[in-house]
Amino acid sequence: MSATHAPARIGALWQQRMETMREYEVVRDGNVFGSSFSNNVVFSSDYEKAHNQLDALVEKYRNVPFDTVFSGTEVFNERGVCYCLKCRQSIKIPLFDLDRFRSDIMGDLTLVHGIGPGKEAWLRAKGYRTLQDLMQHPKFRSYTHDVLTCLYDGNSAEIMNLIGCRHAKSHPYVLGTAGLHEPENYVFLDIETLGLFSRPVILFGVGMIEDGYLAVHQYLLRDIDEEQAALMATIDHMSGDRPALVTFNGKSFDLPYLSDRLAYYGMGPPTKIPHFDVLHFSRRRWKNFFPSLRLAALETEILGIHRKDDIPGQMVPEFYETYLRTENCGPLVPIIEHNKQDVVSLALLFFHLLGESYGCR
Amino acid sequence: MAVADVIRLLCTNPVYRNRVVHVEISEPEPPRFGTLAVPLDDTLESYLDQHRIRLYSHQCEAINRIRTGKNVILTTSTASGKTLAFNIPVFEKLKSDPEARALYLYPTKALSNDQLFTLVQMAQFTGISARPAIYDGDTPQSKRAAIRENSRVIISNPHELHQVLSWHAKWRPFFSNLRLIVIDEAHRYRGVFGSHIALLLRRLVRLCHFYGSSPQFILSTATLANPLEFAGKLTGQPFELVDDDGSPHGRKHFILYNPFYDGIGERSTYQETKDLLVSCVKDNLQVLCFTGSRKMAELVTLWAREDARRISARLAESISAYRAGYLPEERRLIERQLKEGTMKGVVSTNALELGIDIGSLDAVIIAGYPGTMMSTRQQAGRAGRKGGESLAILVAMANPLDQYFMNHPHHFFSCSHEHAIIDTGNPYIVSGHLLCAAAELPLHDDRDQEYFGESFYEILPELESSDLLRKTSRGWVYSGRGRAADAVRLDGIPGSTFRILCHGRLLETMDRAQAYREAHKGAIMLHQGEMYVVNEMDLETHTVRVTETDVDYYTQPLKKVDLTIIETSETRMINGVRCFFGDVEVTEQYTGYKIKRKDTIIGVELLVLPPLTFRTKAFWFIPAPDTEQRIEHLQLDLAGGLHGAEHAIIGLMPLHVMCDRWDIGGLSSPAFGENCEPMVFVYDGYEGGIGLAEKAYELLPALFSSAHELVRDCRCDEGCPSCIYSPKCGNDNQPLDKEAAVLILRDLCTFTEKSECPVLSGESGQAFL
Ligand SMILES: [Zn+2]
Ligand SMILES: [Zn+2]
Repeated sequence: MSATHAPARIGALWQQRMETMREYEVVRDGNVFGSSFSNNVVFSSDYEKAHNQLDALVEKYRNVPFDTVFSGTEVFNERGVCYCLKCRQSIKIPLFDLDRFRSDIMGDLTLVHGIGPGKEAWLRAKGYRTLQDLMQHPKFRSYTHDVLTCLYDGNSAEIMNLIGCRHAKSHPYVLGTAGLHEPENYVFLDIETLGLFSRPVILFGVGMIEDGYLAVHQYLLRDIDEEQAALMATIDHMSGDRPALVTFNGKSFDLPYLSDRLAYYGMGPPTKIPHFDVLHFSRRRWKNFFPSLRLAALETEILGIHRKDDIPGQMVPEFYETYLRTENCGPLVPIIEHNKQDVVSLALLFFHLLGESYGCR
Repeated sequence: MAVADVIRLLCTNPVYRNRVVHVEISEPEPPRFGTLAVPLDDTLESYLDQHRIRLYSHQCEAINRIRTGKNVILTTSTASGKTLAFNIPVFEKLKSDPEARALYLYPTKALSNDQLFTLVQMAQFTGISARPAIYDGDTPQSKRAAIRENSRVIISNPHELHQVLSWHAKWRPFFSNLRLIVIDEAHRYRGVFGSHIALLLRRLVRLCHFYGSSPQFILSTATLANPLEFAGKLTGQPFELVDDDGSPHGRKHFILYNPFYDGIGERSTYQETKDLLVSCVKDNLQVLCFTGSRKMAELVTLWAREDARRISARLAESISAYRAGYLPEERRLIERQLKEGTMKGVVSTNALELGIDIGSLDAVIIAGYPGTMMSTRQQAGRAGRKGGESLAILVAMANPLDQYFMNHPHHFFSCSHEHAIIDTGNPYIVSGHLLCAAAELPLHDDRDQEYFGESFYEILPELESSDLLRKTSRGWVYSGRGRAADAVRLDGIPGSTFRILCHGRLLETMDRAQAYREAHKGAIMLHQGEMYVVNEMDLETHTVRVTETDVDYYTQPLKKVDLTIIETSETRMINGVRCFFGDVEVTEQYTGYKIKRKDTIIGVELLVLPPLTFRTKAFWFIPAPDTEQRIEHLQLDLAGGLHGAEHAIIGLMPLHVMCDRWDIGGLSSPAFGENCEPMVFVYDGYEGGIGLAEKAYELLPALFSSAHELVRDCRCDEGCPSCIYSPKCGNDNQPLDKEAAVLILRDLCTFTEKSECPVLSGESGQAFL
């Protein structure tokens, strides 16, 4: 029958409700238990600092036009337009010792179905030292044949899959398959979002190796309307020649999030490409060394990087919302910086781990 | 037969005889069987043979109609085999279309488990690959993907569905092949909750359309007055009704038993219930007794055991309480003892309505009308399931509704008057689901309005200006801070919620209105049958702190109500009385509370709480000047008459429109507005309205005449809790005048020549207060 007119306070009512829903918890400083227990905590000093910083930024950038702060370019594609910021920085890429990796793999009899560590030791004692040797074994010949076919003819994804099925997904051999790619194939990805699920991605950071440098392309949403174009531009990077994706926690966060947003706009999922999740390899390597395995913690411990004026990743939504609401571009500055540093540290950490395992000595 | 013995006792024993105000006998019905338009295939046929099932007429009718692709609603009785009537066509569909999927929605875990068991058995027997599985909050993360991919029948609940929809990309194989949605116990989705579910289903259908499917709906409900309207509002689609029950039943005796037959009631409803229980058990009947609360279930059990012990210890042992909080082992034991016959009497809260099968019993005793005719029928249906002779007794309370039934048995046994209400137009509810929908897929101006109704275009810009949505070239995109589905509670209207904490543990959450009413400082509140006292209400942090208590008094809030008419949208004349429907703004101010022991006030405390203001829907009427003059002439109190009429009308609202007494509010005034006319208002107690006053406005003549009968036929002189006293009156039942109330109500129901009076000039769209 008659619909009540939507009262003016309906929006305010929901907004109030949303205000009370924070997806992180503020814990008192030094609460290491709290911080290692969950990814979604912010120390109260960081929280305070970030809020002061936000106020300062809004003040500093009042009435400052967007174009004078950022010098990006517009990118056009079939989904519209978005804004891209580019920068470059030098990076040391370790030389990959392919021979050592090959000999490790060839000597790994457990890659063959039916052979565990015990059986492997027994076979070795009998003189079967490599997969080639196993081709002489009456019982394991046919399985070994399959393995060798994959190793000789398969692409890195198939080889990674083969190793990943017989070992933990974070095994150094799995990481080693990254060496089957040229450095130019790596796509380093890190996204900033408006929340944990089902909300827009507001910044896509993509790193690539170009002429021995690390080039970072950041697709920034000047408005939510630009998300589709930015999504498209980002997945374009993943469809080049033999691309390999490198992320930090991307298997559980960045990649499903991208698929979700693509589906939201009725676009298909990104093509499946080899994916190296540095979090998994880091966890295996440093689990008992450091209390926290978050990217920001590792970059300090391993790479000696100390961020200045960084904001906690969990607080990115508040900063971006302030930008959307006020059109003051100040709050974007630390978001972009934070994301850029995430991509750079991700690349450095990845090469560090790869170098440790298979760098030329 | 033992049933006959007990009935003879009740009708002859001098104590019982007077209280038995009515015995309704329904004669036994033999089964009626039906035929299918197209026979079942062999596997399903042999499934029925194996279980010795021959399909009843209503089952065949349902199957025939479902097969044609029509949406079907089934409203036959509790034990009539509704489940089979929809499981068969679901399995046929799974067999004929190897990609087809089906979704079953159940309101409770216990019902989901029962259905899973049935479906697994059916799948095993027929070899049809249904791979049924439950997908809900308890489903481990590790199993979820496999269920989404492989299960062709998924059983879930509305809360889970609400959370899951934003992950639709993962559900693509399921949604794109979803052919059937079965909603069992659909009558539970009414009122605020039902209105939420209706919009949730719109979201589901929208996603299905996006993935290229348009599933057919099958609903099963208890008896309603408006099944087709209800089904249409719940799902947004047209339906066909199957209600002609072909299942058999034995001779049934239904007794209306009134402890207050003399207008006094020397023993309480529960004492009388205990006596009846013991009499039945003594006569070797197996009996199930329903009480309103857990505490009363325990008490009635205790008393009954004491009485029975005087006869034998064994008899005392054969009486037990049974409630939701019991451990599974305890429940299993009672269920087993019932089946073996060693357990004679079980006392339970209404929780037993929920599908747990304890087999058939000889008698059911219902202590107090359970609120709806629907629940009454379901509870009474527990007696005589296997077709033998059976007995059901309703033991009345003193309240108006119970007493109305006692004095007007024909109303109790005639067809259902209860309308289940769903309102898909409440902008507060709609806006929440628009946020969720916009987080699922961008909302399209042209395509999506059809799912969300008239207010669609008005609400979206509102949400945009609050930064919750952004308009893009692809449609409206959700951009709020919290996850939309987490912000929308399926059982409430948005606004601030209060958390009720006991020793730091969260007991429950309440919306502001409920918290002010039930959880103000000093209030004695009940939570799942336990008693708590409120120590502190913090308005800043929206936190209420309570501790357990056990006292023999209770509290009752006092409030002032102010009301302004915003817009009159409809008017009608009923027997010469002007009646209106429209939008009002209500301000409720809680000013204090009374502390009472039984009916005695032992204290009054003041409360300082900010006023609650909300816009809602209301109906109201202006008694004719003649009525007013007569009341004056007889030197009766007009204000007391209007107030009494208001209470009586509100008291009998649930007879016609399914609702809880807290869902509606009222106001009466002998001189309202600038014309100083006598008026009575009845409004929905929720921001935006939920369709109760709207439905009641349609049914006003019936509502008025039942209210009139109630007050006229009450044996009291000056008004009592059975007619015009209201336990929720914020005015402490002052003033009240029964005679004036009867006059006002009588004039609402009988056409008399009343002197013409001009219709108010400022009525169309203009406030006149
Ligand atoms: Zn009375
Ligand atoms: Zn009152």
